[in-house]
Amino acid sequence: MKEKKNICEEVNFTAFFRLHAQALRNYLIYKFGNEELAEDITQEAFVKLWQNCKDVPVEKAKSYLYTVANNASLNVLSHQKVVLEYSKNNTKLDVHNESPEHLLEQEEFKQKLIKAINNINETQRVAFLMHRIDGKKYAEIAEELNISIKAVEKRIHLALIEIKKEIKNFK
Amino acid sequence: MEDKYILAEWMNNDLPKEELDQLKLDPDYSIYNSIREHAAELNTRDFDEDSLLNKIKLRKNDTGKVIQMAQNWFFRVVALILISLGVFMVYQENTNVVEFAKKGAKSTFLLPDQSEITLNSDSELKYKNRNWDNNRTLHLTGEAYFKVAKGKTFEVNTTLGKVTVLGTQFNVKARNKRFDVVCFEGRVQVNHNDTTIILTQGEKVSFENNDLIIQKKTNATIPSWLENELAFEQEQLKNIIEEIERQYNISIGYDPKSANQLFTGKIPTNNISVALEIIATTYQLQPIKISDLQYELIKMNEI
Repeated sequence: MKEKKNICEEVNFTAFFRLHAQALRNYLIYKFGNEELAEDITQEAFVKLWQNCKDVPVEKAKSYLYTVANNASLNVLSHQKVVLEYSKNNTKLDVHNESPEHLLEQEEFKQKLIKAINNINETQRVAFLMHRIDGKKYAEIAEELNISIKAVEKRIHLALIEIKKEIKNFK
Repeated sequence: MEDKYILAEWMNNDLPKEELDQLKLDPDYSIYNSIREHAAELNTRDFDEDSLLNKIKLRKNDTGKVIQMAQNWFFRVVALILISLGVFMVYQENTNVVEFAKKGAKSTFLLPDQSEITLNSDSELKYKNRNWDNNRTLHLTGEAYFKVAKGKTFEVNTTLGKVTVLGTQFNVKARNKRFDVVCFEGRVQVNHNDTTIILTQGEKVSFENNDLIIQKKTNATIPSWLENELAFEQEQLKNIIEEIERQYNISIGYDPKSANQLFTGKIPTNNISVALEIIATTYQLQPIKISDLQYELIKMNEI
């Protein structure tokens, strides 16, 4: 009899963990802004997944993971500021000898952007950052959030408009 | 009309050419562009993926065993017995412990942390056995000598005040309106009403009627009552008579108006006639034995 494929095997589980842990943790950070909490819930979700690995087919594992994480975070009320950083090695945007004024302006813009992202609606922020930071496709985001692709597009569309408004307000 | 989220499509580089051209005419297009580009540079702070994986592996193995055990009826029965036993023990441990010394007797015992306590006659001590090491609080009525084992804060509550220590030897007496604390080793903190006093080795403090009446050094290394002696300092006759009554388990009749001087001195606890003689001489009284349990002290001039 052929075993149903699942992730009970440690090798499989580890591979699955490596693939999704960072993204799940990031998603929870976008939601709560609390890294410690995000890591606790990530741990909880993976432990639950492993304990129930026999009942969770591999193709359902990811949505199971996000469902557990979402359930675990239902009681979380306090939302903190999301701590974001700019990658240090990314210089391709400003390679060409730009004037100090322009650089300063750009630096200011970057700070405003982080503030603006923190000010917008949580659902919009989550979708927007999953797309921008984790480079997920809309379809992927839809699966993880358990919403339609159209809804993801709406959230991202609105996020962009809201962020723009916030940034303009700072001026 | 079906909703169309142009910006979402644009973010994904899916926007058809003519719509893109139209979007570029939007005065906010440059801001959108900056948001898109800079947001892609953003990142969360690094985290330790390996340590998280290790924690998960540890927890998985832990609970895995439990699940297997619970499925076996034999282990269920064992678990039930263990749980009942546990509940019983917790219940047992949770009860208050009361130690006391009757009149005319003393009592020495150990606390769960091996702290040694000696209760003087007619004294009582109450404490909770449960979680003693983390909550060393007890209630004293009367007088006791403490040799406290090192550990967390140790607290003695009386109706007159509180004594807090960290591992030391001290004596606490709280009777009537009088509260005496002597520290023989280490440091103790005495709280009486709003006053807080820290005593170090060889210091004593006494309060009477809410006033601090004595604060001085002493040479004693253990309380005198452990050496069959009662040491008094500026003590009222009433208190001395009561203490003698407790020590010998007798009753002494006297006229409370017969003296208002304070007494300082020592009285034995193993020789009733000497004890009464000392009081009698000091206050010019005459001791009379009525029975083994009853004595009278009467004024000389009344004889």
